[in-house]
Amino acid sequence: MTVVTPSPYADELACVPRAGTLYDVLDLILDRGMVIDVFVRVSLVGIEIIKIDARIVVASVDTYLRFAEACNRLDLERTSRSKTVPELFGGGGAVGRTVAKAGARKAGRSLGDKVRDVLGTEGHRDDRDAEDTGYAEDAEDHARDGLDEEEHAYEESPRPQRRRRPEEGRRRPAGTSGERSRDRDDDRDRPRARRRSED
Amino acid sequence: MATASFAAPSRGSAGAGALYVYGIAPAGVRAPRAGGVDGAAVRLLTSSGLSAAVSAAPARVRARRRDLLAHQTVLGELARQAPVLPMRFAVLAGDEGTLVAYLREQRLHFEAQLHRIRGCVEMNVKGVTVPGCFEDLVHRDAKLRELARRTRRRPDYDANVRLGEALARAVTREGRRAAQEVRSRLVPLARRTAQGEVDDTVVLSASFLVPADAEHRFRRTVEEQARRHGARIALSLTGPLPCYSFVDAPTTAAPALTGG
Repeated sequence: MTVVTPSPYADELACVPRAGTLYDVLDLILDRGMVIDVFVRVSLVGIEIIKIDARIVVASVDTYLRFAEACNRLDLERTSRSKTVPELFGGGGAVGRTVAKAGARKAGRSLGDKVRDVLGTEGHRDDRDAEDTGYAEDAEDHARDGLDEEEHAYEESPRPQRRRRPEEGRRRPAGTSGERSRDRDDDRDRPRARRRSED
Repeated sequence: MATASFAAPSRGSAGAGALYVYGIAPAGVRAPRAGGVDGAAVRLLTSSGLSAAVSAAPARVRARRRDLLAHQTVLGELARQAPVLPMRFAVLAGDEGTLVAYLREQRLHFEAQLHRIRGCVEMNVKGVTVPGCFEDLVHRDAKLRELARRTRRRPDYDANVRLGEALARAVTREGRRAAQEVRSRLVPLARRTAQGEVDDTVVLSASFLVPADAEHRFRRTVEEQARRHGARIALSLTGPLPCYSFVDAPTTAAPALTGG
């Protein structure tokens, strides 16, 4: 079972590996392990599709636009000091957040998170599809329990526009690529990117 | 192999007496106390020096969070006592007789498999790209810089998409390079390595078969690497896990079993 190692560096340097969650080992439980041909492996409808979907979620025009926007704020002619992305998004206000932190948080958006997101979407589409919603509902219960310390990571969903529950408002999705560090920036930046896209 | 149980695959269930199989361990392990899939009690079926952890198969197997966790927890409990050959999620045996006969028949194979993983744990490392260091990327890559300048002069939707896409590619490229470096540090610490699926964002996904006494060192190395490459790749480490990635089913064609 997953063992969580509390890291002494968690605050000063947040790029230490985060301990895995069930989502991180979903691929092992579902794709690895022994299958014996004289036994039956029950077909789990939906799982294969979910995995394909999860990969498609990642690259999107929305991501590109936000990357471009971050880049457009750079001083292209200056050579020294590397600005961290949260600084770029947060103006001068990114206190106590480093890009490393964004990186660590972003780790939450690995396979499992994408799967959850897709599962959630699937569930949204058809509440009666047990294979999909069974898992998603459980995940929601779990998130509500607040037992999972990695919970925040799941909420940095690649597709935050779907399946948002009101109680998640306290920690709004930080955007597709996890580079955004502050909620208020989300409100400020997104519409701008959108407006530009409508030009 | 077609067995009688395949007759009703759409229901995702097997007949009465069907067993959900978690894994196979050497005889002598204690039955896991954790509840199994669908809350069923887990017991051991022992034959020919091997014990299979099983529970009554649920009417329907679904990939629910609590069931995936149950599968994982039962195996974890076994793995802490002895080497265990983990089954994939949702493997059912037709009935007790079938399973016991199979353990007897494949005893040598299973024992060899157990021997290979004895004293080892599986450590899974995943790494996702970190979209940071744009300034660094732009300054190092003349093409990217030129694209950024042009976009700034004529900011329109298409230019921004192109710039963003180029940045995304650069982020992936940096992540892959970091993944390569991380991997090269971890491989020497492991007896075996199993590669998982990667894509443009998940640039590292690998399992490592690590001797239990080297687990700490492995962990420290991952942390070290995470700090070193944190600007390019965010690592997550899961383990110790049952050795999902390092077990092989018997390769012999399944013998025609009596009934199903």
